Amino acid sequence: MDQTLIRKLVSADEEYLRDESKKVGHAESISFPETHEQVCQIMAELFESGTSVTVQGSRTGLASAAVPFGGHVLNMSRMDKVLGMRAENDNFYITVQPGVILQKLNKAIAARAFDTSAWDEASQEVYKTFVQAPVQMFTPDPTESTATIGGMVACNASGARSYHYGPTRNHIQAVRGVLANGQTISLSRGQIFAKGLELTLPTEQGNSITVKLPTYKMPECKNASGYYCCADMDAIDLLIGSDGTLAVLTEIELSLMPVPALSWGVTCFFPQEIHAAKYTKLAKQIKEGIVAIEYFDPCALDILRKQKAESTAFAGLPFLPDSYGCAVYTELHCETEDQAYELLEALSGYCAEAGGNPDNTWVACSDSDRDMLHFFRHAVPESVNMQVERTKHTYPEVTKVGGDLAVPDEYFEELLGIYDTTLKEEGLQHAAWGHIGDNHIHVNILPRDMDEYSRGKALLAKWAAEVSRMGGAVSAEHGVGKLKAPFLEVMYGTEHINEMAALKATFDSKWMLGRGNLFSPQEEVK
Amino acid sequence: MEQIKKGALWVFCEVQGKELLPVGLQLLGRAKTLAEESNRPLYAVVLGKISQDSVKLLHASGAHEVICSVGSALDEKLEQPYADSLISLAQQFEPDILLVGATPFGRAFAPRVAAALQTGLTADCTELSIDAETGLLLQTRPAFGGNMMATIRTATSRPQMATVRPGVLPLPEPMEVADREAVTIQFDGQAGLVKLLKETAISRGADISQSKIIVAAGRGIGQKKNLKLVQALADKLGGQVGASRPLVDMGFCPYSSQIGQTGYSVAPDLLICCGISGAVQHLAGIGGAKTVIAINTDPKAPIFAVADYKIVGDCVPVLENLLKAMDEN
Amino acid sequence: MKIIVCMKQVPAAATASIDPLTKTIVRTGRNAVTNPFDLYALQTSLDIKKGVGGTVTAITMGIPAAQKVLRDAISRGADDGEILSDRAFAGADTLATSYAISLGINKLGGADLIVCGKMAVDGDTAQIGPELAQHLGIPHVSDVSEILEMAEDHLVVRRVWDDVEQELYLPLPALITVAKGQNLPQLPTIPGMLRGRAADIPTFTAEDLQADITRCGLKGSPTQVVRTFTPPVRGEAQSIDGNEAEQAQQLVQIFREVLHGTD
Repeated sequence: MDQTLIRKLVSADEEYLRDESKKVGHAESISFPETHEQVCQIMAELFESGTSVTVQGSRTGLASAAVPFGGHVLNMSRMDKVLGMRAENDNFYITVQPGVILQKLNKAIAARAFDTSAWDEASQEVYKTFVQAPVQMFTPDPTESTATIGGMVACNASGARSYHYGPTRNHIQAVRGVLANGQTISLSRGQIFAKGLELTLPTEQGNSITVKLPTYKMPECKNASGYYCCADMDAIDLLIGSDGTLAVLTEIELSLMPVPALSWGVTCFFPQEIHAAKYTKLAKQIKEGIVAIEYFDPCALDILRKQKAESTAFAGLPFLPDSYGCAVYTELHCETEDQAYELLEALSGYCAEAGGNPDNTWVACSDSDRDMLHFFRHAVPESVNMQVERTKHTYPEVTKVGGDLAVPDEYFEELLGIYDTTLKEEGLQHAAWGHIGDNHIHVNILPRDMDEYSRGKALLAKWAAEVSRMGGAVSAEHGVGKLKAPFLEVMYGTEHINEMAALKATFDSKWMLGRGNLFSPQEEVK
Repeated sequence: MEQIKKGALWVFCEVQGKELLPVGLQLLGRAKTLAEESNRPLYAVVLGKISQDSVKLLHASGAHEVICSVGSALDEKLEQPYADSLISLAQQFEPDILLVGATPFGRAFAPRVAAALQTGLTADCTELSIDAETGLLLQTRPAFGGNMMATIRTATSRPQMATVRPGVLPLPEPMEVADREAVTIQFDGQAGLVKLLKETAISRGADISQSKIIVAAGRGIGQKKNLKLVQALADKLGGQVGASRPLVDMGFCPYSSQIGQTGYSVAPDLLICCGISGAVQHLAGIGGAKTVIAINTDPKAPIFAVADYKIVGDCVPVLENLLKAMDEN
Repeated sequence: MKIIVCMKQVPAAATASIDPLTKTIVRTGRNAVTNPFDLYALQTSLDIKKGVGGTVTAITMGIPAAQKVLRDAISRGADDGEILSDRAFAGADTLATSYAISLGINKLGGADLIVCGKMAVDGDTAQIGPELAQHLGIPHVSDVSEILEMAEDHLVVRRVWDDVEQELYLPLPALITVAKGQNLPQLPTIPGMLRGRAADIPTFTAEDLQADITRCGLKGSPTQVVRTFTPPVRGEAQSIDGNEAEQAQQLVQIFREVLHGTD
């Protein structure tokens, strides 16, 4: 066997102990594999000692899933190659390593520029048709575009456009992965299904794993909480969204679709939240052409106003008149201008009907205008993070307390009411934004000291309980990781968590992969 | 005045304050070869009065004659009077080639000259040569944001005009020359209608996005006290300190120094990255840097993929030795 | 105040291509956008209109599909737009382009203020504005980043050049070119978009402008592209080896080379 790829984790590696959740963990060793074979080698070596393994991408996650709880850090950032391409019925599929960064992938797809030198002949042939075909896209669009594809699959990430195109899961065609014991599995969509709630998976080494799927009913809303389970499900869906607890993915095949002829962004400003909610309800009646509906609450807009005034890095944010209370952004994907203008006129009508003024709108049709709106959208969480960082200088333990809760349609207004009342009662500073079209907004509490931090966490737990009661999801897109593991227990109950644990143990008998993820951690992360 | 021949190669030499800008001398250095190759006289053209030392430097840099246009209209360096004065000189002496430094002022006034003379003007060239066959000036410039280079010529109209980017041509070694006067020509034109109300020098202050030299530190710097080395190097080079996001998050450096996607985008002539691994978020902010030197312990760090020079090793001893070497030099 | 803002349609960055025969930029109208600097010029024009009243007219030269930039301008608040379009204008360099636009402006009866973007991102020349001012015989100020004072008969403007900041008094009629500064372009509104779509955009041909054909298009362009090529790409980083003292010496040498002779 080659020399070991595992090395001691030293103080210069400290950044690999943290992620965007700002929690810090600990670990003894680290590795940076570059190939599937190297991952097999590393896992085989670790299996002997039963060392726990935390898999990392670019550590942009918000649920501490990539923060290690001792053991080994398996950093996938150097598995960043696009491996090949396939075409079937005019659809294109590309196979990537998990460390490929979304932003870079999107650029390469748009420019149709890949380094094909290491591709096999079949892929190179497909590439020839790919460069002639209409420009393609990979639709999942989490706000954090420097996420890795592996990370996105691990937490079944979503973005604004998931309103129409669905989460990452819907765009994953095949995966290859390494199990804790170093054996490998390869799954393509449409090939292996559960029989009822029993699922048997073959390994590439000729063994098989048979598991009993948990019996819970998944929420009828956007969801990234716990294992995906339902009767007769496709086996690949179990691995997607499994938070790095079942296997280390080494190859992922993504499905692409053609870029629409027109992609327009429309932001409508309203005096108050109630108008925004009404507009959203109306806009959701449009069945074709609207791919995203996003919300920015009054506090979020205030933070942007402040940021624009104070920081030259944010001076390029568009000017926000004081009369702009809150905002709803809709994205239109259309094939013809006629259709796009029809939608504009419809939205204009809904805007007025909901209590807004169509003159208080922004329409972005060009790349530069769209970039401006993306900057605007990204500036909200960035500004919030910067504000929390400042508090952190005085109270190092404090982090942002962020909700990722979604509920079925009929409960959304009730949930908004609960947010409003409880935040007022507690007097906590906050800002909310996100996927209002999916009944999924991120309410973020910005604690100014330790007391507010604890009260914020308690409030989040209270909301998680309410959402569980409504049949919603405690994590709709960030994944459960370590931070939300206690909520998962609230959502599904101990009995179902035990079913999940039994499933995991079948895959990972020594309980090595993603220790602390999904299942309540044995120790508290700092 | 009779010594000014028609069909010459002219270099407009811009004065800032009382000093000649280096770009004019750089152009003279290059134009000297072009003039020899094409057998044309080479003249430096200055608008407004300059010192005899400056006249001598222009001769020493290769100018056969220095043409100096003077007049009260040229007291303030503004587009219209400067253009008018150069237009009148060009109409009088009919140069074959007229080169102008692509400074902001050069690029603002030279187009007026070209329009008045109804000739071509190639903007912001990075390379000049003479076509051996036709004797025409070949003007090469970046196009499409530098993704492509184009070589351009002006075949039929005269003069052949180009603005040339500062800093791409070397400064010529001054030659030994006799001290001679400039050829002074009176300009009787109007001062123009635009009035300069106020002019202030800008101090670059805390904003690193405009900085020409940046020494940037990342996690590999280790302890906070090592930042002193980074600051010392920046001071010696006349530059500013930049930081990667982890250092800002840890409170080692202020946000005003943060480079990257969520900080500032920078485009310095020289960027020295000390202990920066080159996360994609950081690389997003340094695309405009001209020369990148990276020092990092990890030979596979992504920063090396965008560097021109690399040192694989701990940046702290490298910095210490570098500071020592700079003191000794 | 009567304001004319000059705009240009440019290829969206990723899709620009060069015709191998004529060596000029291929403009198909697909994936073409308004030159980003021109949006700043438009915003400055709209700000001045808001301050002292008047009209903002957008003008462009290009293929018929380039009227899209004028609709864009109207959707953002311009009052109207005119396009100069004729086969005779094709292949123009800055001299021929500025000549044609000067005729277009005269056709519109001139203006109190002409506003151009600092430069176009496809050509990077920054020459149209000053050349246009010369053709029209009016003063100009390049690279304006802020309007400090506005009145019917004059402007006071600020510009920033490298290490110096200037405030200038500019009597009208005049021309300014506008840099990216305080004048952040505002996005169109829904009603604006509908106005832009419905607007009537008149076309002027070379004949309408009574243009001297020998001064138009490729024929009227003194500069010719003789060759295009791709610049050498940045290669792999050069490794600086040796012990730390030797590395230091090499670094000092690199500093000299890099920093020598730049302004």
